[in-house]
Amino acid sequence: MPALIAIRGLRKAYVMGDETVHALAGVDLDFQKGEFVAILGPSGSGKSTLMHILGFMDTPSEGSIVFDGQEVAKLEPDLRTWYRSNRVGFVFQSFNLLPRLTVLENVALPLLYRENSDPVANAAAAAVALERVGMSHRLDHRPSQLSGGERQRVAIARAIVGSPSIIFADEPTGNLDVKNVDRILDLLGSLIKEGITVVLVTHDLSVAERAHRVISMRAGLVHEDRVR
Amino acid sequence: MKLFVRIRPAILNGLRELQANKVRSLLSMSGIILGVASLVAMVTVVQGMVGNFRQFVDAMGGIEKITVSREQLPKEQEHLAELSEGITMRDVERIRKTVPLVDNISPEARVGYERLIIEGRQTNTYVTGVTADYLPVAKRWVDPGYGRFVSDLDVLNMNDVIVLGSAVVPELFGPNEDPVGKVIKIRGRRFTVIGVLNNIEGTGMQIRSANSRSSGGSWRWRNSGALIPVSTAQAKFIGNDRLSGLGLRIGDADRLRDAVEQTERTMLAAHKGLRDFAISTNEQTLEDFRKTEAAFKLSLGGVAGISLFVGGIGIMNVMLASINERIREIGVRKAVGARGSDLFLQFLSEAAVISVVGGLIGLAVSMGIVALMNYILMQALPTGAVATLDWVIMAQGLAFSVVIGLVAGVYPALRAASLDPIEALRHE
Repeated sequence: MPALIAIRGLRKAYVMGDETVHALAGVDLDFQKGEFVAILGPSGSGKSTLMHILGFMDTPSEGSIVFDGQEVAKLEPDLRTWYRSNRVGFVFQSFNLLPRLTVLENVALPLLYRENSDPVANAAAAAVALERVGMSHRLDHRPSQLSGGERQRVAIARAIVGSPSIIFADEPTGNLDVKNVDRILDLLGSLIKEGITVVLVTHDLSVAERAHRVISMRAGLVHEDRVR
Repeated sequence: MKLFVRIRPAILNGLRELQANKVRSLLSMSGIILGVASLVAMVTVVQGMVGNFRQFVDAMGGIEKITVSREQLPKEQEHLAELSEGITMRDVERIRKTVPLVDNISPEARVGYERLIIEGRQTNTYVTGVTADYLPVAKRWVDPGYGRFVSDLDVLNMNDVIVLGSAVVPELFGPNEDPVGKVIKIRGRRFTVIGVLNNIEGTGMQIRSANSRSSGGSWRWRNSGALIPVSTAQAKFIGNDRLSGLGLRIGDADRLRDAVEQTERTMLAAHKGLRDFAISTNEQTLEDFRKTEAAFKLSLGGVAGISLFVGGIGIMNVMLASINERIREIGVRKAVGARGSDLFLQFLSEAAVISVVGGLIGLAVSMGIVALMNYILMQALPTGAVATLDWVIMAQGLAFSVVIGLVAGVYPALRAASLDPIEALRHE
C-alpha cells in the first residue's frame, strides 16, 4: 500500500536579516494511513516547520511531497486552503477555541468554510464529533466554562469533524495536568482505528513514547526514526 | 445565493461581536449616529421649510399671479402727474383684449380699515372692492352652505352686499348664528352678508383650536377682511373710478415673463407712456427662497457629511483594534480552512453591522431632533411648523451609513484576510 504522505528531499530556508536559517535541511519520510507517529525534538529542530508544511500552512523551499498520490509541495494558496479544510485537522497546545462561540459552534467551525456548507448538517456533524470525544453534555457551554482537559477534547472534536486523513497535535498536553495528559493521548491514539494518521509534535519524550513510531529531529534533519 | 450562504454567518458573527463589546461599539458608532441623525433631521427640517414657503407663495396667489399696482410717477415724469388717470376698469378691458395669456383679471379697490357694526357688536377689518374674478385669481372659494360670492350682477347694480373672511365671522356673530342674510353697517351704510370665504389652513402641524372655522391660526391674515362689489366701493366710499390694483392670473406659468411684458406694453400704451403703475410677480420671492434653500442644504449637508466621514474613521479604528485583538482567532479560522475571502467577508460584515446599527440609532435620534425642532419652530414662527419625516430621506440616510461602513471596513478586512496563519497562531 502506498504511503499517505511521501516526503523526499524536503528543505525550508528562511532569511533572517543577513543569515539564512535552514529549518529543514533535506528530509525524507513516509507516513502511513492510520499511523500514530510522534515527531520529537527540541525547539529549533525543524519539527514545527515540518508540521506547518505538512499541514498546508506553509510551503517548502525545495523537495517533493506526495499526499494521497498527488504532488502538493507547491500548491496555490487556495488549494492549500482546500487541503486544510478537507484533509487536515489541528490540535494546539493552547486549545485555540474561539471564546465567543459555543462548544458546538467551535466544533462546527471547519465545516462552515466548506463548499455547500449547511448549518443544520454542520451542527449534526459537530454533535457526532463531540459524542466521539465524550463532550456531548456541554454543547452550549462557552470554552471558558470548561476545564483544560475538556477544552482539549473539544479541540480534538473540531479536528476530526471534517473527517481528515491526518491530524497534527502540536504539544497537545503541554497545558494539561497529569490525569488529563493520559486521557488526551489515549483519545488521540484511538483515532487511528478510524484510519486517521495522528502526528504528535512534541519535545517531551514521555509524550512521544505513547506513539507507535517516534521520529527524532535535530537541526532540520531526521536524527532517528524508530518503530516501537 | 452562494454569497448569502457565506454572508449570513458573518453577519451573525458581527452581531455577536457587537453584543460582546457594547460600549466600544457604541462609541465607535457615535460618529455614524450623529451623522445620520443630523443628515436626516436637517434635510427633513429644510424640506419642511420649503413646503411651508410653497404654501406661503401659494397663499400670495401662486407663481401664476401677476400684480399690477398703483405707483408714484418716476421723477422724470412728475410734471405729467395731471395726465395720470391711475388704474381703472378701462385697463381691465384693455388687458383682456390684448393679453390673451391672462385668463382672469381681478380689479381691486381698497376702501380701507373699516369698522363693521351689527347690533351691539363690532370689529375692524380691511374692506376691499372686487369682482367675481377675485376668486380664481386669489385661488379662493365659498364653501357650500356658506352663501355665495360677489356676482357680475352685484357689480353692475352696485349692490350693497358683503362677503366676510372666515376670521371676521366670530367677531360679529355667535357660534351657531348663520351670518348669511344679516345686515352689517359700514360708515352708516347697510350691507347684506351674502357669503363667507373659505377658511385657509396651513398643512402639517398647524395649531387648531376647537372651532377650526373661526381660528384661522397662523393664516389669520388671509382669513380676515371683507369684500364688496368694486363698483359699490368706488361709488359709495372712494368717490372716483380709480382702482388700487389688478390681480392677473395666467394659464401657463411657463409664459409668465411673456405675460408680464405684454401687460406692461398694454398698460404703457394705454397710460400714454406714464409709468403710474408697477408690475410684480412672486417669481423673485420664489427664486430668493430657492437660493436660501440650496445654501441651507449645502451647508447642512456639509456638516452631516463631515460627521459621517468622522464616523467612518471611527469604525475603521475600532475594526483595526478588534482585528489586533483577534489575531489568534484569525489564525485558527485560517488553520481550519477559512479562505482569505471568508475573513474579508467576516470583517467587512462586522463593519457593516456596526454602521447599520449606528444608522438605525441615528434615525431614531433624528426623529427626536425633528420633534424638538418642530416644537421650537412652532414657538418661533408665526407660520407655524414644519416638518414630517419622509421614509425616502430615512432610507437614504441609512444607505449612506451602510456605504460609509463598508468603505471604512475594507482596509481592516483586507488586513485580516492577508494575515499569515502561522504568525497569527503564534501571536500572544
